[in-house]
Amino acid sequence: MDEFEEIRNCLVEMKDLSALMIDLAFSSVMYNSEDIAEEVYLLEEKMDDLTVKVKRLALRAAKHEKDPETLLSIIDLADINERISDAAYGVSDIILRDIEPHPIIQEIMEDTEEELGRVKVHRGSVLHGKTLAQLKLPSKIGARILAIKRGSRYIYNPGKDDAIYEGDVLIAVGSDLDRLRKVAGEKVEEGED
Amino acid sequence: MEEWDEVEVPDNVKEIFVEMKNTAELMVDLAYSAVLFREKEMANEVLELEEYLDLLNYNLMVRAVLSARNIRDAERITSILQMGRSIDDITNAAADLAKMVIEEKVHPLVTEVILESEETIGRVVVSPESILVGKSLEELDLPTNTGVWVVAIRRGKRWIFDPDEDVKILPGDIIIGRGTRTALDYLKEIARGIIKVMPNG
Repeated sequence: MDEFEEIRNCLVEMKDLSALMIDLAFSSVMYNSEDIAEEVYLLEEKMDDLTVKVKRLALRAAKHEKDPETLLSIIDLADINERISDAAYGVSDIILRDIEPHPIIQEIMEDTEEELGRVKVHRGSVLHGKTLAQLKLPSKIGARILAIKRGSRYIYNPGKDDAIYEGDVLIAVGSDLDRLRKVAGEKVEEGED
Repeated sequence: MEEWDEVEVPDNVKEIFVEMKNTAELMVDLAYSAVLFREKEMANEVLELEEYLDLLNYNLMVRAVLSARNIRDAERITSILQMGRSIDDITNAAADLAKMVIEEKVHPLVTEVILESEETIGRVVVSPESILVGKSLEELDLPTNTGVWVVAIRRGKRWIFDPDEDVKILPGDIIIGRGTRTALDYLKEIARGIIKVMPNG
């Protein structure tokens, strides 16, 4: 793989991740979700690594360029995405900072019964191998999937043809995420109803 | 664009926050669209929105400061100021992206990155035969029905950025939308008049 191809792959990932991070950061504030704020933090670290990688590759590629300055916009793009991800982390940090947020901050948090969180799909779960169209999670158990984390990859705004597999982590919103946790095979501590 | 001192800013903190969130997201979408299509007018809109965001941020700060009654309050309130600054940072980054278009410094690889990302940007031309014609964005509910978010509409020589829900689609409109490649292709078929029904339309 040549340097440009590698740079392109990194930047595509960075662009996808920064979009996801903006979405998750704002959602973590509106739903007061520490779980998701923490996810944003993890993504931020990943973005830092990708930024360094792009810059290194761009420098290496510059050696064979007649006009190395043309590569500046590539480094700029990496920088811009890194800044967006830093800032997204700065937004979600409000959730991680105070144990008891000030009333004016609570005002921002959605006045809702809904919860935003991560749900891990365990071995043997009925969700395994089924597409979102088959599962109809919103109507059946009142949960919407914002993203699916598979290994180190994220499927952002998954569509009806995207399937769920064992080992996936679902980032979901719902009035009772414990129902989703149960079908995902996660142990739910209480509230056997 | 109106002058900023005539622009109304919502007066509760929740609404200001939501407006800041929507503006920041719109700016990122518009900036990428501007880069992809080398649209300077669109890039300038991003820079104008940046001023609007500053105004929102200022209003958020004023309300935050007003609500502090003692030192402990003030300490807890600093986190809202930091959050406001972070949202501002997102929009500064979007503005810098837009400036790349104005300064005409975009490497072809940057375009490829936008086209290959999971959620990309597309340009959709509405033909007179399309079922989209004459319907408002509210009626069409394109995000739910097609998975495409409308970022802007080009109507003749005029741009409608972040169109309101009551904007009706006219023949010849060019819709700039954000979505997956599949979603954008689907909307294109509808816009060309090839697909005549929408799931809930």
